[in-house]
Amino acid sequence: MGGIIILNGSPRAPRSNSKGYAQLFARYSALPTSYFEITGSNHPQLCAGLEDCKHVLLVFPLYADGIPVTLLNFLKSLEQSSLKNRPVISALINCGFLEPHQCDVAADMIRLFCAQNGYPAGSILKIGSGEAILESPFRFLAAGSVKKLARSIAREEYGAFQTTMPLSKGMFLSASTKYWLSLGRKNGVTQQQMQSMEIEP
Amino acid sequence: MKLILTDCPLDSCLSLPGDVTWMDLSALQIRNCVGCFGCWTKTPGRCVIRDDAVKVYPLIAQSDKLLYVSRVKYGGYDTIMKTMLERAIPVQQAFLRILDGETHHVQRAVAPKQATILAYGPTSPEEQALFRRLVDRNARNMSFESWRVVFCPEEQVDARVKEEVDAWAES
Ligand SMILES: Cc1cc2nc3c(=O)[nH]c(=O)nc-3n(C[C@H](O)[C@H](O)[C@H](O)COP(=O)(O)O)c2cc1C
Repeated sequence: MGGIIILNGSPRAPRSNSKGYAQLFARYSALPTSYFEITGSNHPQLCAGLEDCKHVLLVFPLYADGIPVTLLNFLKSLEQSSLKNRPVISALINCGFLEPHQCDVAADMIRLFCAQNGYPAGSILKIGSGEAILESPFRFLAAGSVKKLARSIAREEYGAFQTTMPLSKGMFLSASTKYWLSLGRKNGVTQQQMQSMEIEP
Repeated sequence: MKLILTDCPLDSCLSLPGDVTWMDLSALQIRNCVGCFGCWTKTPGRCVIRDDAVKVYPLIAQSDKLLYVSRVKYGGYDTIMKTMLERAIPVQQAFLRILDGETHHVQRAVAPKQATILAYGPTSPEEQALFRRLVDRNARNMSFESWRVVFCPEEQVDARVKEEVDAWAES
């Protein structure tokens, strides 16, 4: 009792940015943490594990403006489970776009899940430029905001936090172009090919 | 091109005008997006998972009138529709542009759309407001030139779909 269970809701959890954010959280948390990755088949074990914890932290990417199906399916299982405990649910959402406010709808989906199912809602952290910030010189900003999130949960002084790269939109666009081109290059794919307008060519 | 995507079989879609294409996603095999970004950096415009989703996203891209029929869950699309929407990112490029003062992806050959979302199942006013905010955000990423959300109970879905299709025929 008393610890925090961190659940990674990214469909690519083992190599996800969410995993990086979860590791930062575990480092800064004053409360003991345990980390699990949501898969298609481990919902019963994860739900059972929540019976003994005080806090849950859902760490996940923004997918098509909302919560990814991996997490949606887990929440549906949690809703159906006969869990007696009602841990406080907090969330750390990262999105690819620069603006953390693009995560607002997903944050409110988590709050709605809590309201509909009797779970106390805890803190929310929204990270813009979340695909790239951990490998950038601005990693310290992400780390700082994760620290704030961890502190707010440990002190039970819940709040909403956000961070992103402090770049103009134009500079972010050029930085992201470089980032994606480098990924394409690793696969032998040129800029021209990546810019193809064809779908299912 | 006019497209209807539903997350359940519907009688109202069994006899549609010839210019309307209907896909019942619940009858297709569509796996989860695995977040590999292969459709942007490996085989641009093509998903690396070769299941039924690859038949659907080209239709989404071509359509200029679109009707999505989905159950609502936690203020968003339920699993079947959401799985397909996540699998539709090959229609975008990796590269970003600025739209309405925000960063968004450049689209490939995607027609601008008039979208109607028929959202069914029990919903509170709060859930409906959240769902509308979701569709408003989708609009920027999914080329909705205009959009409308219609909420209805499950038993009225067929009748509402018919109304929408009739309205398309008259417009
Ligand atoms: C299918 C899919 C949909 C996405 N949709 C959005 C989106 O709507 N908005 C956004 O800002 N980023 C979006 N992204 C980008 C991810 O949120 C971003 O890459 C994130 O860092 C992934 O986190 P993860 O590594 O923890 O999975 C999407 C990525 C994928 C694969």
